Parts: sequence; structure tokens; C-alpha cells
Amino acid sequence: MDLKRYALIKAATNVISGFSMVTLICLGVAYLSFKNAFVFQDIKIEITNNPITQEKDIEFAMIGSKKFECNSTQVYGVAYAEDGSHSHKLNAFTKQYIRNTRPGEEVPNSWAMEVPPDMRIGGRYRVSMTGEFVCTYLIFTQHKSQTFDNILLIVEPR
Amino acid sequence: MTDREQLISKQVERWDLFARLMPTAFLLISLVLILFDVIDFETAFYVGLVGFATTAVVWWWWAIFTIRHLVITLNRASKNLIEVNQDIVRATKEIEALKNGS
Repeated sequence: MDLKRYALIKAATNVISGFSMVTLICLGVAYLSFKNAFVFQDIKIEITNNPITQEKDIEFAMIGSKKFECNSTQVYGVAYAEDGSHSHKLNAFTKQYIRNTRPGEEVPNSWAMEVPPDMRIGGRYRVSMTGEFVCTYLIFTQHKSQTFDNILLIVEPR
Repeated sequence: MTDREQLISKQVERWDLFARLMPTAFLLISLVLILFDVIDFETAFYVGLVGFATTAVVWWWWAIFTIRHLVITLNRASKNLIEVNQDIVRATKEIEALKNGS
């Protein structure tokens, strides 16, 4: 191999290596940013029909925006009694939520859940709603979970 | 060139080759493995992170020992030059003394 050809190959490998490093760093930074981001931003969830009277379901309303394309795989709530004595799992949907809202803009969402049979004595509760999501961004896919705490729930005795 | 200096020269060549080939090789191998679902991006990310950190630590210590060797070599060369300079000054004075004596 002559000197000119050797110098040319060396320069080319230097340039390719530089571009590879830049690509690796950009992908790494993008991945970290995606991995650490929350699913929803500026999120607000509340129960719209407090106190829950007889035979009514618990109606939730949510507003928030998503940065990435995320599809929910599981959503459930846990209602903790305000005195800390007990809790109830809320997972029976009587009205479904929108599974895959558009990213980048605030989209209102709502759903309704059945009052669990063992909650019929009524009382004041704080609900934590948890969502499990599969999010995608560029070439990345990531499982994410987000919880919204402290939603006031008042259930009247049935 | 001493054996140690030849070794350092070879090591520099190896670092140069490593720096030119490794990023591209890692990028291509990772992309192929991710495309064929052998590994996910998270695994590739952590393997890359560990590789990057290991390379940085190894290079740092290699650089420290190499610089120490170079500083010792430079000091020795500088000391020898000072001795040569002193010898020349002494020889010049002796020649001048001989000239004046004759």
C-alpha cells in the first residue's frame, strides 16, 4: 500500500469514527432523556362526582399532555382511607378511558370505576391512580409507570 | 530508542487503531443485534457505557504512566545537555588559557 493510499484510508477511518462517536453520544443522550421522562406532563386528575351517592360510579376526569407516543397497558387505582385503616383496589371500569391519546397536546380523558362492594359503608378516601405504559420514541421502546396521588374520594353509605 | 520507548510507540499505535475502529464497530454490531432482536437498546446502552468507562479509566492510567516516563526521559536529557554545556564552557576556558599562555 502506497503512502498516499494509507493516508487516505487513515483520514477516512478517522472521519467515520468521529461520526460514529457523535451518533453514539446523540443516541445515548436521547435514550437517557426518553428513559427518565414522565409519561404525562402538566397532569391533573380529579373525581368529578364527589360525594359518590347510591348506585353511582366513581367518575374520573384527567387532563395532561404527553411528550411521547405511549400506549397504556394497565390502569388501576387504590383508595386509601383517610384514617389509614384500610384500602381498596379500584380496577373495575364501567366507562373506559382513551388508551392512546395524541402526544404533544393536552387531551382530556375520562373514565368511570365501580365502587368496590366492600366500600359500601362509605367514608373519605385518598385515591392513587397508577398507569402502566409502553412508550416509543425514535428507535426506543420503554415500559413506564406513573402514579397520581391524593385524589379526594367521598363515598356515601349505601 | 530504548525498549520502553518502543513499547510506548507501539501502544500509541494500538490506541490510535482502537479509537478509529471501535466506535464504528460497536455502533454497527449494536444496530445489527438490535435489528435482529438479539438484544434491546437498554442492553446496548449499558454495554456501551461500561465499555466507554473502562476505556476512559484504562486510558487515564496509561496516560499518567506514559507522561511520567516522558517527564523522566526529558529531565535526564536536559541534565545531560547541561553537563555537555558545562564541559564546552570548561573546554573553551582551557583553550583560551592555552592561547594566552602561548
